[in-house]
Amino acid sequence: MIAPFTDSSIIVAGIVGIGFGFALERAGLGSAPKLAGQFTLTDFTVFKVMFTAIVVAMLGAFWASRLGLLDLARVYVPETFLAPQLIGGAVFGVGFALAGLCPGTSCVSAATGRGDGLAVVLGFLAGVAGTAALLPMLQSFYLSTPRGTLLLPDVLGVPYGVVVLAVAAVAGAGFAVAERIEAHAARRRA
Amino acid sequence: MRARVIAAAIAALLAIGAAFAGSPEPHAGSKAKIRALADEIEHESDHVTALELAEWIRQRRPDLRVIDVRADSEYAAYHIPTAERIPLTTLATANFDPRSTVVLYSEGGAHAAQGWVLLRTAGVRNVFFLRGGILDWMDDVMNPVVSSDLTRYFGGTARTGAVPLPGGATQVVARMRRRSC
Repeated sequence: MIAPFTDSSIIVAGIVGIGFGFALERAGLGSAPKLAGQFTLTDFTVFKVMFTAIVVAMLGAFWASRLGLLDLARVYVPETFLAPQLIGGAVFGVGFALAGLCPGTSCVSAATGRGDGLAVVLGFLAGVAGTAALLPMLQSFYLSTPRGTLLLPDVLGVPYGVVVLAVAAVAGAGFAVAERIEAHAARRRA
Repeated sequence: MRARVIAAAIAALLAIGAAFAGSPEPHAGSKAKIRALADEIEHESDHVTALELAEWIRQRRPDLRVIDVRADSEYAAYHIPTAERIPLTTLATANFDPRSTVVLYSEGGAHAAQGWVLLRTAGVRNVFFLRGGILDWMDDVMNPVVSSDLTRYFGGTARTGAVPLPGGATQVVARMRRRSC
């Protein structure tokens, strides 16, 4: 029932984590002002980095599975709990906008010696500990409005490959719109 | 700029190809599929315990389907609440919503485990079998040594003296008792 964390998967997770942090820092996402630009619609780096990651991972998972290198059924898909995840997402968004950093980028920021990054890391660890302590009280809400494991091909009733193409097309269109808005914002500043 | 264009072109080609590549699931019977199934069994992600199943039923987990693969008469005598009976012979050809979570159980677990292989081979994704079968259900949920809130929820009692159970299940359960205590 629980993902098999054998010794080798811990090592793989470490390598993937370092790679993720490296990519975030290279994209400039260790800097809070750059991330804040996403909320003021002047810098779409967050959007572009995240959608690039989604499209690359999606194409990799689809083709690796199609070629028999990966069993998609063994990839863990978190379950949907509608109300708690909506509230959690809103709380997360407020924290993200206030701090200018999310958990992943705050680790990158702290690792590169930024003080605000370290403060956010301490803050989210305190939040994790607080939530864990309050979990018995929150349990019923935490597990409310369950919807099970949802996958776009099943929900939409569309073949898997067509969803892959659609998500890639949406990402491509999103990039084009994002660059236009960025160019517009840059012209207004100039 | 050149590198970006090349990367975008590769992504576009792979995405367009995906729409025509068919299902990403490995073909049933292929070596990759059999290896993946063996891996699941090895990592014990193929079964649930009686207490886990009881918790899922109580939570009214959406799309949960509990399937009894025992004989009709055994099902009629007692079955796990919410369970439906589908014999192994029709199980492999039955249609399951890909979103549903299927839990199979038999008397001791062997038939359900074989049903697990059938369904996973047929491409159903979220399949589990009840470890220890209905015998474990009786021992751990309905008549445990120490009563839990799950026991009360399903109308069972702790294992002291007589065992009153819903309907005519007492006799069946008496036969099922195999652990001495």
